[in-house]
Amino acid sequence: MPALVQKTPMPGLRLSAGITLTMLSIVVLLPIGALLLKGASFGPGNVWEVVNRERVWTALLLSFRLSVFAALFNLVFGVLLAWVLVRYDFPGRRLVDAAVDLPFALPTAVAGIALTTLYAPNGAFGQLAAQIGWKIAYTQWGILLALIFVGLPFVTRTVQPVIEEIDREVEEASATLGASRPHTLRHVILPMLTPAALTGFALALARAVGEYGSVIFIAGNIPLKTEIAPLLIVIQLEEFNYDAAAAIGIAMLLISFAMLLAINIIQIVSRRKMGHV
Amino acid sequence: MDIHIDEIAKEFGKATALKPVTLSIPSGALVALLGPSGSGKTTLLRILGGLEFPTSGRVLFDGQDATGMSVQDRRAGFVFQSYALFRHMTVFDNIAYGLNARPRAKRPEKAEIARRVTKLLELIQLPDIGARYPSQLSGGQRQRVALARALAIEPRMLLLDEPFGALDAKVRKELRQGLRDIHDETGLTTVFVTHDQDEAMELADVVVVMSMGSIEQIGRPQDIRDRPATPFVRDFIAA
Amino acid sequence: MSDASLITPDARPGRPRKFRAATAEAAPARLALIGIALTGVAILILAPLATVFAEALADGWAAALASLTKPDARSAIQLTLLITAIALPLNAAFGVAAAWLITKFDFRGKAFLITLIDLPFSVSPVVAGLCIVLLFGANSLIGGWLVAHGLPIVFAIPGIVLATVFVTFPFVARELIPVMIEQGRTEEEVALTLGASGWRVFWTVTLPNIRWALLYGALLCTARAMGEFGAVAVVSGKIRGKTATMPITIEMLYNEYLSVAAFSMAAALTALALITLTLKTALELRHADQLAAIRRH
Repeated sequence: MPALVQKTPMPGLRLSAGITLTMLSIVVLLPIGALLLKGASFGPGNVWEVVNRERVWTALLLSFRLSVFAALFNLVFGVLLAWVLVRYDFPGRRLVDAAVDLPFALPTAVAGIALTTLYAPNGAFGQLAAQIGWKIAYTQWGILLALIFVGLPFVTRTVQPVIEEIDREVEEASATLGASRPHTLRHVILPMLTPAALTGFALALARAVGEYGSVIFIAGNIPLKTEIAPLLIVIQLEEFNYDAAAAIGIAMLLISFAMLLAINIIQIVSRRKMGHV
Repeated sequence: MDIHIDEIAKEFGKATALKPVTLSIPSGALVALLGPSGSGKTTLLRILGGLEFPTSGRVLFDGQDATGMSVQDRRAGFVFQSYALFRHMTVFDNIAYGLNARPRAKRPEKAEIARRVTKLLELIQLPDIGARYPSQLSGGQRQRVALARALAIEPRMLLLDEPFGALDAKVRKELRQGLRDIHDETGLTTVFVTHDQDEAMELADVVVVMSMGSIEQIGRPQDIRDRPATPFVRDFIAA
Repeated sequence: MSDASLITPDARPGRPRKFRAATAEAAPARLALIGIALTGVAILILAPLATVFAEALADGWAAALASLTKPDARSAIQLTLLITAIALPLNAAFGVAAAWLITKFDFRGKAFLITLIDLPFSVSPVVAGLCIVLLFGANSLIGGWLVAHGLPIVFAIPGIVLATVFVTFPFVARELIPVMIEQGRTEEEVALTLGASGWRVFWTVTLPNIRWALLYGALLCTARAMGEFGAVAVVSGKIRGKTATMPITIEMLYNEYLSVAAFSMAAALTALALITLTLKTALELRHADQLAAIRRH
């Protein structure tokens, strides 16, 4: 059995390991452990009973379903945006490129009230939509919009460097072999972007499922209609119902782990197939 | 197919890549464009392939003006310096790519495509690698796959950009002979770019020595070695 | 080469010709794609941004500024700055230590450690807050003991710090690790053979090589720390004037229909976010070489 740590003259092993493991424990591991412990002491049967209520299931499914839709939108729009930003030159390109990061930098509560104001029935865009009978804020459309907003940069930012590194000769080779430009885009470029795009998709999805701040303002929070899973946790906590909050929290944690696993599998598969990511 | 290059010039912005050059390549010839980097040889090759368009002048294929013909319509088998294999496709799919990219009406049957790919794999003497990905091949194997892929579209000419540039000396020697054999077997008009005078002299029927965007000399290898036309050619050959 | 070759007029008079480069889309397709991209960015990103400032200034500058100088507002601003000022160095210290551990030593379980560090990215902030409440809340084992000894964590500042550090946990480490992997260990090894002490190696060799990446990570961390809402909403108890940070105050004001006050505070946070973004963009432009490793991984 090999040594736990290979011998090296590099200093600072104890100090760096000490800081890393202490912080990791206090900030991440112990709190998550406390959640799992709470679930265990509450009992798996009871956890299931809480999660299996109609209101909880509906909220979990709503969060997941709308997150998938938002991530799918961002997958398509994000790849398009990345392509436009890397390949085309137009006035304001740098500004747009910088603006893509805004959803990362803008506090979610700020995004929440801004989107709500904009898309409420009396808001600038809400009024336009109302004219065709489309209600956005306080419906699932509003939640979708907020989730699209918070997930917007992920796909663009993972795909952009890949587009930058595409060897032009590969595209030229496709053309010399007689392929039309759309054929090249579909059969040569898109497959090259797929691993990065899927990684971005999974990141956007993971972010959206857990999103709270930008959603609660625009959602309207009507039980069984526009109530998201994180809000249920907040409601249970406000009623000091820690067991139920923990049960829903564990369900959400499991969804997060599943998605983390998916991201890793995507990367391993694409690495195996193409020699690198 | 014979190629006639008529007063072709190319500018990139303010930089001149090619001064007007004229060159006739008879059908079935094996021609080397020889010169140092920046001599315009790759630009000329890319103009033939339809990857660049000349600022002025004409390109004629079999006497027909092909200057504005799109790269897709030219059917020039082009082998890139980096080989530019599609790394997400198997060797088989790489070679079949040009056939699969044809519009449905002109696309061969699946079985016919498979038959042609198998034949090409035999031609490049790598019959068993169809299922592999480019990342699993050696440099020399990649070069031959790139050649097979270019041949699959039944090209009217073969254009190669530094085809042996990225290979070590031993593999390079083998593949030179390989290219010569394929040329002789297919009878395709073949133009390749190189900065290596040995390679040009050993392989080509006609060597075109270029410098600073102009043609310094056109001739058989023996003529160029014995009677260099300019001081540049003399120095370049001696180096 | 590509742009110059997009359109090449023929030198001979009377016959202008246009050729399309082999690797470019047709002009209509290109314009359509640019149009879709710009429209999307305008509707989804720029319009909300403009709304923040428009709503804040709906009653003029004076009203906006007045709302920000009220005691509760000032307390919220001070609290947010304080939390950020505590969370940022904690995170930077952790990030540097973790990156050093991961890139300078070979040990079993390294991939697992990296996964653990990345974990907070995929945990909902609300769940993060819940975890902290369960661990340190007054009716938990540890929390009860701490409260009895006069150190409450939940519904107090330490809880908010903890929640903030949780949600920003991977930021610095994630930026440093790819940069330090790419730089390798040679320079440190050379310094060691020349007799430098461990700390000296770190300060004089490692830190100068990673400072821009460190700053980059710190900027991301700052932006997120100032704006964190979900986790803080759960652990803070939202006590006005005590544990209400800027984002929490925005929520309270907004729910009380104090639109100008809510958006003024939002505008203040947005201005900070824009400054962070500008600094980040400047870093990307000026120190592209050091930061390139981040984008490649």
